[in-house]
Amino acid sequence: MKDKPPMYVAKQADVEALGFSFTPEALQPGRALEKIGRLRKKMRSLMVMLETCTKCGNCAKQCHSFLGTEDYYNFPAARAELFRRIYKRYFTLSGKIFGRFAGAEDFNEETLGKWLTYYYQCNECRRCARFCPFGIDTAEITIIARHILSELGIIPKFLYSSAVNMAKTGNNMGIPKAAVIDSAEFMEDEMREETGVDIRIPVDKPNSDVLYIPSSADFFTNVDTMLGAAKMFYVLGTNWTIPSSVLEAANFGFLFDFNVMKEHNRRLKVAAAELGASLVVQGECGHGWRAAKMYTNALNGPVPFRLLHIHEFCDENLAKLPLKKLTMRAALHDPCNYARTGGIIEQPRRILRVCVTELVEMTPNREDTFCCGGGSGILMDEMLDIRMKLGKKKAEQIKAVGDIDYLVIPCSICKAQIPAVLKHYGLDNKFEMGGLMDIVGKSLDIKKT
Amino acid sequence: MLFFIGQVLPYIAAAVFLVGTCLRVAGWLRVPVPFPLTLFPAASTNAGRVLAISREILFFDSLRRGEKWLWLWSWLMHIALVMVIVGHIAGIYYLAKQFTLVGFSAEASASLSAWLGTIFGAVFFVSLLALFYRRMTIPEVKRLSDPADYFDLGLLLAIVVTGMYMRLVSGADLPAVRAYIAGLFTLHPVPIPQDWLFISHFTLVNILLLYFPFSKLIHLAGIFVNQAMITQPPPVYPPRRVNPTPAGSSRSVSFGEGGRRL
Repeated sequence: MKDKPPMYVAKQADVEALGFSFTPEALQPGRALEKIGRLRKKMRSLMVMLETCTKCGNCAKQCHSFLGTEDYYNFPAARAELFRRIYKRYFTLSGKIFGRFAGAEDFNEETLGKWLTYYYQCNECRRCARFCPFGIDTAEITIIARHILSELGIIPKFLYSSAVNMAKTGNNMGIPKAAVIDSAEFMEDEMREETGVDIRIPVDKPNSDVLYIPSSADFFTNVDTMLGAAKMFYVLGTNWTIPSSVLEAANFGFLFDFNVMKEHNRRLKVAAAELGASLVVQGECGHGWRAAKMYTNALNGPVPFRLLHIHEFCDENLAKLPLKKLTMRAALHDPCNYARTGGIIEQPRRILRVCVTELVEMTPNREDTFCCGGGSGILMDEMLDIRMKLGKKKAEQIKAVGDIDYLVIPCSICKAQIPAVLKHYGLDNKFEMGGLMDIVGKSLDIKKT
Repeated sequence: MLFFIGQVLPYIAAAVFLVGTCLRVAGWLRVPVPFPLTLFPAASTNAGRVLAISREILFFDSLRRGEKWLWLWSWLMHIALVMVIVGHIAGIYYLAKQFTLVGFSAEASASLSAWLGTIFGAVFFVSLLALFYRRMTIPEVKRLSDPADYFDLGLLLAIVVTGMYMRLVSGADLPAVRAYIAGLFTLHPVPIPQDWLFISHFTLVNILLLYFPFSKLIHLAGIFVNQAMITQPPPVYPPRRVNPTPAGSSRSVSFGEGGRRL
């Protein structure tokens, strides 16, 4: 590969230890073509989305990745062309006959290098699909391209590590069960001090009705999100637990390999059966919500439980929650995987209107939201510079809402990315930020219940 | 040569267009959609879904939300194209007397037919030029464009230029054209009118039809298949009433190569 990819790539021995087969560099384009040939017979999206683009360019100005980096290959249609040109050359009649005239191109290692570089600068936010007259979803092409790269043994180290951690400990951060229990006890103490009542964070409690799948970051960096969830379950008298075997809403497999995603969802299914849960509630994680909601049925067969996002659960029970209005002006950021991909659009707004005195909207918002620039598993440190560019559009949007007291960023990746972006663009220290459940937790009047 | 252009090529073009397009679409529909690609907010009823797709197809909603000029020119171009096609069918079949069906006099109908044809032809021409200009001037779109993208626009421009020349300058012998087209449809060959402008106009359209199924023009069919995918209803949990399956078992779509330890 001629271009040096912007991220560290896992070593051959490591990916092989994880069960991936590694293809030597010279054979990679050929193997990749075999895989494209196989996948085009399995996924209609791949075929139709590669075959219907008219290259009108409407997606260019709608993509935060292109707007932020101003790199041609981050223009969604151009990113897709990295795939489409190859596809045309080997799988379409016009490409075979007309070649370059029709935009077909031979596949070589250089193009494959571009795949790694640019398919990992797409946040899979689907804003291009929203603005494409045909509904061509570059995120879908990105997902498939990443899957093919992984099958060749080309996996960013960051994603590889989270998969290893997930396999070993049941969460991406590699937190062992003992530390999870410690952390839960610590949070219970904190809540006891604050409210004077015993609010539990049960781990692996058998015969639970509700399985709560937090983001593992909620145990250490986004503690307030966990406290909010625990308080809400307490007030509602929910019989709930957190499974240590899948202590992670984030499903990084979705971001690089279908089989890793499937394994994650399988763990979810097993945990629900073992602990007896009939309802699974997913915590604040954007892509994890998409992976669970949109893929579990198809990948893992029908599941016997109900599946809700914690915002949906909270919204359903809103009338039962003793919420008092916090005096603050709060702005809501719509994570892309909630708004466009997961159907979580009005629920957070209904919840916020009860919890805070003033809710301000960003422009654009809801399904037209711009991604934070950290999505799709590119939170690695070595990509920080690129990530800051990817976050430029979000920073401008946040700046434009003016004075606020609190910025609601209800997704673990947004929670990691947006503070860094704001710092980079000199917008930090002006307001607090955190999840939506954080606000619910603070707004819940526990003593009265 | 004239025999080939007049009596053979039209049938080849029509067959390639129809069969090619159908095969292409059938090829897409044969492939499963393993995961719902719902783009929210999604309609919850079939009627809502049809409405959403119709708005997209009739008004280009997504484009309108984006770049306004692109929306305007491409929408005008497509509307004009549809009107021109409808106008050709009606004008040739009724020899420009189609508006007598709604009470106009024969002269008024011919005049209205000519005016409408001129207006939509002009709109079609201008919007094609605008799209051509846009493709050449926006840097990232220019870089993205292949010769084929200019060829498509050029071919349509050549068709509209020859057509408009007949309409505005040289005129066309409608009854002769009608007799010829009728001959093609009824399989009773009538020689093609010996008007080199008509012959080029007609041949260019045949080339377009021949080229259609293999080019990006297939987006005419792709939009339906694609929009149907992204407006799919989201999955529900639990999916209907299911018998509890043993933990860990899975009816599965397999994407792996086997032997994966994860």
